[in-house]
Amino acid sequence: MIHAEGLVKRFGDNLAVDDVSLEVRQGEVFGFLGPNGAGKTTTVRMLTTLVAPTGGTAWVNGHQLGVADAQVRASVGLLTEAPGLYPRLTAVENLGIYGQLHGVEDVPAQVRKYLTLLELWDRRDEPVGGFSKGMQQKLAIARALLHEPPALFLDEPTAALDPEAARVVRDFIETLRGEGRTIFLCTHNLDEADRLCDRVGVIRQRLVRVDTPANLRHGLYGRSVRVRLAQPTPGLEASVAALPFVQGVTPLEDGLRVALDDPETHNPNLVRALVAAGAAIQYLEEESHTLEQVYFDLMAESREAVA
Amino acid sequence: MNTGRIRVIVRKEWLDMRKNKMVLGMMFLLPLILVLMILGTAAAFRYVPEQMSDPLVPEGTPGLPPALAQMDTDDRTLAILNDQYMFYLLMIPMVLPVYIASYSIIGEKETRSLEPILATPISTAELLIGKVVGAVTPAVIAAWASFALTALGMYFLATRPVFLYLIRPIWTVGMLIHSPLFALMSASGGVIASSRLNDPRAAQQISGLLVVPLLGVSFLVLMGRVYLDTGTLLWVTPIILALNAAILWLTVRIFQRETILTRWK
Repeated sequence: MIHAEGLVKRFGDNLAVDDVSLEVRQGEVFGFLGPNGAGKTTTVRMLTTLVAPTGGTAWVNGHQLGVADAQVRASVGLLTEAPGLYPRLTAVENLGIYGQLHGVEDVPAQVRKYLTLLELWDRRDEPVGGFSKGMQQKLAIARALLHEPPALFLDEPTAALDPEAARVVRDFIETLRGEGRTIFLCTHNLDEADRLCDRVGVIRQRLVRVDTPANLRHGLYGRSVRVRLAQPTPGLEASVAALPFVQGVTPLEDGLRVALDDPETHNPNLVRALVAAGAAIQYLEEESHTLEQVYFDLMAESREAVA
Repeated sequence: MNTGRIRVIVRKEWLDMRKNKMVLGMMFLLPLILVLMILGTAAAFRYVPEQMSDPLVPEGTPGLPPALAQMDTDDRTLAILNDQYMFYLLMIPMVLPVYIASYSIIGEKETRSLEPILATPISTAELLIGKVVGAVTPAVIAAWASFALTALGMYFLATRPVFLYLIRPIWTVGMLIHSPLFALMSASGGVIASSRLNDPRAAQQISGLLVVPLLGVSFLVLMGRVYLDTGTLLWVTPIILALNAAILWLTVRIFQRETILTRWK
């Protein structure tokens, strides 16, 4: 669906994007994470043919950049960082222009469909300059979807929205995922990426890592369970460490952290061994790391690599 | 080139203009004032001729066109005054669209709507032609309507020789063909300024300068330094058309979407 090979973008001496290769599959929600100036928007602009790559190439929905730019643009929907609406025009007029530019067959029907879906139909004849930020963002999403593109690029869709409006937008992205569209989501909101994305790519000029959020966590921290004990049990750490499936044991103030390669398989054996060793288990749970932790650690890793 | 997409942009420009009362007012107020001035002068000649008796060109002045030489003094004075007003009317489609065109791209930059529109299948040429035509058409319609109103008023207020002198081919051809062509040229200049600059005031001032050469030619004609007859007007038409095509090509060439998108904050 989206296949990029060694994309490079330079603005004069400034290297904005360096050798980005990635593959986004059909129906996938792909999160693109990175700090400000990391090259997220520039990558989206290259993939939507708004700026030409300095090097490398990409295929979007089977159309190659620089070869079939108009076809690429016809097959993608783009939600830009700012809604970019015409403030004096009404919601219907704003969408109508884009429907016609995309050659949508029944523009009024499509406009009605998306204004209704995004709960804007009642405000359809009002100038959008008077809309709240959330409403403008919803209208911009409707605009990106009007021609039913198989791939959707969303650049910071919930930035600057209040929590309620952000939730509406996130729920709508979930709905879109259910329709089998490919979604390329640039975001700073790591919780949002964690909840919505099948895979994430972390960029800092170069692509630092691409994987599912779960694999990124496991890759960085491995998998471990935390055992909380009612009281300290002498010799427990050594007996757990001796178990063949245990990869490591770290004593904690109120128990142990046990590293396992496959907790689903080994947890029952671990519990049995702990009980046999006399441990008073209060509870046992898999340790989780937020995507935020993963992100910061990956960023630190990339800074070290550059240094 | 997809004319359907050009029409969409033209309609969008008109829609936006229609909702901006200030711009719309500016578009129609000036031509209306001119029409009132022309017809007011004709009415004054008709109803208070003694107040208007000072002849601009006395009888027997050498080099007068036959149509003027055959008129009586009042008619000749009114016909010559009409010619001067007609120059201003002819210039309206050159002057007004330039201000709209000079805001066309900057306006998109300000509302951040350029990026979404460039992400549609529209080409740069289609977008810019739509912008230019969108800026020119209302002014041309206003000028044509003003010319029709003037002619109609003259039919009732002035004598037949003055009316026929007003609707002679030099004005009708000029108004119907050359005025829109010059308007396209000046609007293209406005779009160029709008593409290259970020400040609407600077773009409007620079665009205003672009009209100066056209005004210069008009004044030379008005002062009698350049004589234009219908034959000359028709002869220069292909040249103006070629110039228009060249300026439009230049407008598209120097529109750098990448620079506009990445440098505009």
